[in-house]
Amino acid sequence: MNKIDVSLENVVETIKAFYDPAAHHFLTLNALRAPEDQIELEWIFTRYGVIEEPTVFTLTCKRDVLIPSVTSFIPSAIMSERETVDMFGVSIEGAKRGLYLDDDSLQMPLGRCRV
Amino acid sequence: MKKTVEIPLGSQHISLLEPIRFRFHCENEVIRDVDADVGFVHRGVEEACASRFEFKQVGYVVARVCGLCAITHSLGYTLAVEKLLHVSTNERIKYLRMLMVELDRIHSHMLCLAHTSENAGFEALFMQIMNDRELIMDVQEALSGNRVQFDYISIGGVNRDLSVEAAALVLRNLALLEPKIDELFERFTNNWSLSLKYRGIGALSLEQAYMYNTLGPLARAAGLVTDVRLETDDFPYAQVGFEIITERGGDIYARNLVRLRELKQSMQMVRNIVEGLPEGAIQEKTKGKPEGEAIARVEAPRGELMYLVRGNKTSILERVRIKTPTFSGIPAMIEIFKGSNFADAPAILASFDPCMSCTAK
Amino acid sequence: MSFWSKWRKRAPWILHYNAGSCNGCDIEILAALSPRYDLERFGVLNSGNPKQSDIFLVTGPVTYRSRERLIELYMQIPEPKVVVAVGACTATGGVFRGMYNVEDGIDRYIPVDVYVPGCAAGPQLIIDGVMEAVKIWERKTQEIEEPFKLFGGMGKIGEALSRRNTLEVKDEQNRREP
Repeated sequence: MNKIDVSLENVVETIKAFYDPAAHHFLTLNALRAPEDQIELEWIFTRYGVIEEPTVFTLTCKRDVLIPSVTSFIPSAIMSERETVDMFGVSIEGAKRGLYLDDDSLQMPLGRCRV
Repeated sequence: MKKTVEIPLGSQHISLLEPIRFRFHCENEVIRDVDADVGFVHRGVEEACASRFEFKQVGYVVARVCGLCAITHSLGYTLAVEKLLHVSTNERIKYLRMLMVELDRIHSHMLCLAHTSENAGFEALFMQIMNDRELIMDVQEALSGNRVQFDYISIGGVNRDLSVEAAALVLRNLALLEPKIDELFERFTNNWSLSLKYRGIGALSLEQAYMYNTLGPLARAAGLVTDVRLETDDFPYAQVGFEIITERGGDIYARNLVRLRELKQSMQMVRNIVEGLPEGAIQEKTKGKPEGEAIARVEAPRGELMYLVRGNKTSILERVRIKTPTFSGIPAMIEIFKGSNFADAPAILASFDPCMSCTAK
Repeated sequence: MSFWSKWRKRAPWILHYNAGSCNGCDIEILAALSPRYDLERFGVLNSGNPKQSDIFLVTGPVTYRSRERLIELYMQIPEPKVVVAVGACTATGGVFRGMYNVEDGIDRYIPVDVYVPGCAAGPQLIIDGVMEAVKIWERKTQEIEEPFKLFGGMGKIGEALSRRNTLEVKDEQNRREP
């Protein structure tokens, strides 16, 4: 896969410049715990109809910052963003909590340290 | 004063196989807005895959994400892990895996068509399709040993070989099924309730399909050329006669037609696979622990299924990300509901063929 | 009521609810209702309405969000009712046991009469389970329909208690023997 590193400031502009709705297909937003209370986010794109390795935009940032949303030009990203918010306890612009988890469930199950 | 009336549908309803709750905001008969609650089946498979199970067991755990497309789940995971372990499988394993995936597609599409016809009021046609579907279930049972949750794929190969008797059974049952599918084609194109009534209902335009990143039969019915079988080279699909199928219109009728045509094509592909099965062992040697990150994509009956696996040279994986077809289709579904009649809602919902167990994991 | 019970005995309607299963058991329930296995020959009909149902088929370990719905559906089914737990994960949690968003099995929430094993439970097993449920349902119906005498009632309760005690004693003996 082709990895492209982005920063918190230019993530939306980079993806917006890259993304062409008629050619690209937004796969998903993946997240991962990184050391030192950081989180690694990956926006994954592929192309329609041709054999090509997925393009991945990676961003590593602190857990407690507000992560910008890409839903203004990729409306279907709202599902992945809401899921990430639920699973990792991060905050993403415009994504509500409670897609999967209830109030009494284990909160941010993937964001916590494994015992 | 508020102009809309709220009508709930779900989580338990006769037209729903699985729990999903919609709240339709209707103005007279027309749906203006929809809230969907999809988290009823959330179990926490992703977390368990990365903490409680070893990587050799995870293939069988992720199959339990969804019973309808269990084989594609274990296949997607296995492909990703094989990339990390640098295992390349021989042609026979690839063919056997393709065989099971295509059989799974046939039975899943038939279930969806049965459900669509039931929601159109055809109880008898539902029963008839379910009866014909048993021919495929028999084949699956003979090939893998179980009707639904066949744990057929293991890392580096498959668990059972295709015997001569099973191959004969596949060909025999497909020959029995062929005329029945032709008859279904006739029904779905000529019967008033199933064809004309469904024209223009629940339509998704090509622009919307691009905008909402739709996948699978939903996108192909709108004319969007997307199929993971075309977009990846993990399997020799071109060799067994795969061609992409698209329709125009994007309504319920077009989706049914896409499914019917895919059924016919999958049957032909199964026949080609069984007849041209290469020789070889059914299990390759694997060693080591997964390290690095890999993405594998598989075409499930409902669209694209993605697995992202990251390992760190231990037997417990660091991350397993599952992206299921219905999960990314939900924004498009909500968009389709807006503006259509409330009475059509169950029929539209059935034509999506939603899989909530996949969505919520 | 005895006039109607003759017919009702042959028409146990089922209510099906997915409390977080993988769909496998649900499609097998549909397959059991379809002509090959034909559960409908026993008068079983899949009704979507809890108020008209007698047998409650539940699949899946109970997820957190489906708990309330499960209990509500159970409460809405009129007495006598029978609960059938279909599939391994419904009985014990199965492969999902211990995951963070599931309860291990439905018997933490509602009383279960019949457990159907298997992952996924086959249609034959589901038919067996439903037929067993019909037997239990008939017994429960009889118990409800028996007239309750005010003064003879105490004797009947005592009888039932002594019967249960002897059963428990037998169970104890059975457990000790091996």
